[in-house]
Amino acid sequence: MTIQAVRFDPDKDSAPRTQTYEIPFYDESMVVLDALNYIKSHIDGSLSYRWSCRMGICGSCGMMINRTPKLTCNAFLRDYWPRPITVEPLSNFPIIRDLVIDMDDFLHKLKSVQPWIIRQQDIPLGAREHRQTNEQIDDFRQFSQCINCMLCYAACPVYGINGEFLGPAATALARRYNLDSRDEGLKKRLPVIGEAEGIWECSFVGECSVVCPKGVDPAKAIQQTKLDTTMRFVLPYGNRE
Amino acid sequence: MTTEVQAAPREYGWRMPAVWWARQRHYFLYMLREFTAVPMALWLLWLLVEIQRASNGPTHYSPHGSPWFVAFSVIVLGFALYHSYTFLKLAGVIIRLKIFDRPIPSGAIVLAVFGTWAVASAVVGFVLIWFSR
Amino acid sequence: MSEAARKRPALDHLFFWFMFSQGGVISAIFLPVHVLVQGILGPLKIVTVADRHYDTWVLLLGNPLVKIYILVLVSFSFFHFAHRIRYFVVDLGLHAAKGLPAQVAFYGGAVVVTLATIWILLASVPVRIW
Repeated sequence: MTIQAVRFDPDKDSAPRTQTYEIPFYDESMVVLDALNYIKSHIDGSLSYRWSCRMGICGSCGMMINRTPKLTCNAFLRDYWPRPITVEPLSNFPIIRDLVIDMDDFLHKLKSVQPWIIRQQDIPLGAREHRQTNEQIDDFRQFSQCINCMLCYAACPVYGINGEFLGPAATALARRYNLDSRDEGLKKRLPVIGEAEGIWECSFVGECSVVCPKGVDPAKAIQQTKLDTTMRFVLPYGNRE
Repeated sequence: MTTEVQAAPREYGWRMPAVWWARQRHYFLYMLREFTAVPMALWLLWLLVEIQRASNGPTHYSPHGSPWFVAFSVIVLGFALYHSYTFLKLAGVIIRLKIFDRPIPSGAIVLAVFGTWAVASAVVGFVLIWFSR
Repeated sequence: MSEAARKRPALDHLFFWFMFSQGGVISAIFLPVHVLVQGILGPLKIVTVADRHYDTWVLLLGNPLVKIYILVLVSFSFFHFAHRIRYFVVDLGLHAAKGLPAQVAFYGGAVVVTLATIWILLASVPVRIW
């Protein structure tokens, strides 16, 4: 099977280039990550890429497979064979080396929505636990499934055009906490999600939800946030606690 | 021109391809959906002109009717239907409604939204045709 | 000033989006039937339509409810178009479409169309309650 991988050595290259490798396709369960590991082990040890769990839960191995953002541990060679596969670093991010991208902006944005339970008054440890029904968990369950793989940011053309955009995962994460019955921090998050480069930049392309490997549906999260935020300011007494 | 996040000195910064929307089918359909606003706006302007023509008096009033106008309307109808279908379907997915604390499945809301579209169209169509007698 | 302190909810964007979403629903629900009936079926004489003849068109346009309907339809739809086309231009790569002058041009355009519609509705056919 032919793998065309992007290479970039910051010390030697001025721009990324493509290198082609031929690997044996020995098992129908082989994924692109297996192919990359084979290349690194047997052909070219200098190939750099991120991976960890190899089972779709850690979110490390996101890359562009034939121009679509995918987890390489979740992209089966049999679905592409016999044609060559192009493997590129995730779109919309700066490239550090080969297939490794700079995720500082992503991490910064996740942190900016204060993704933790915020309460007016913290319940002291040992006093009692937060009680929550299954229905209350259902309200935000979907948005809590994010594995921070950044495929949604790679798929989002708005983020590609405007690096200031808050982005799908961060907004879905904010909504996960805003909908959590234990949380009282919506007003604290509002300045970040409701600012000009927050939710309003989104034009509902929807590709983020298409590529999400965990079914988080960040596009839905963003649109619901737009609606809820608007109602908050439009309805009388909407913006008071 | 893109607002780039500052890439560290030895990194290769991201550049958005100029014709990014032609590279994938989904992106192209998105741009098509966004573009529907243009033909729809033009047709509404035609409607305003036709309303304004009512002030020309009975002898000089002439509604749009040329074959070009019909062809234009056919094209606009295609775009308008694409807008309606995509917008209403997405609106149905977003709206969260709870009756007695039980969430209504989004499929039911989508159906209700499309049902409203059908009823409103029937009412307006009826008014336009009934008042022509 | 810390970065967090600089951020605040952008109420102008909220308003633009509100008008965009309302206009989107209104234009989605009402525009196609107008295009079909007044743009295709009427001119092709497949059915008789009110705007084909002066007296029936004027009868309909005289009704204040019809005037309000047309105003709501046109105004909200144009706010929707303005917002969508502005972001369409941004997507094409023209960063200037995000700035204040562009906002004034696009949404101001929608305001102009709204005012023109009010004028046309009031000036072309007098209000006649049947």
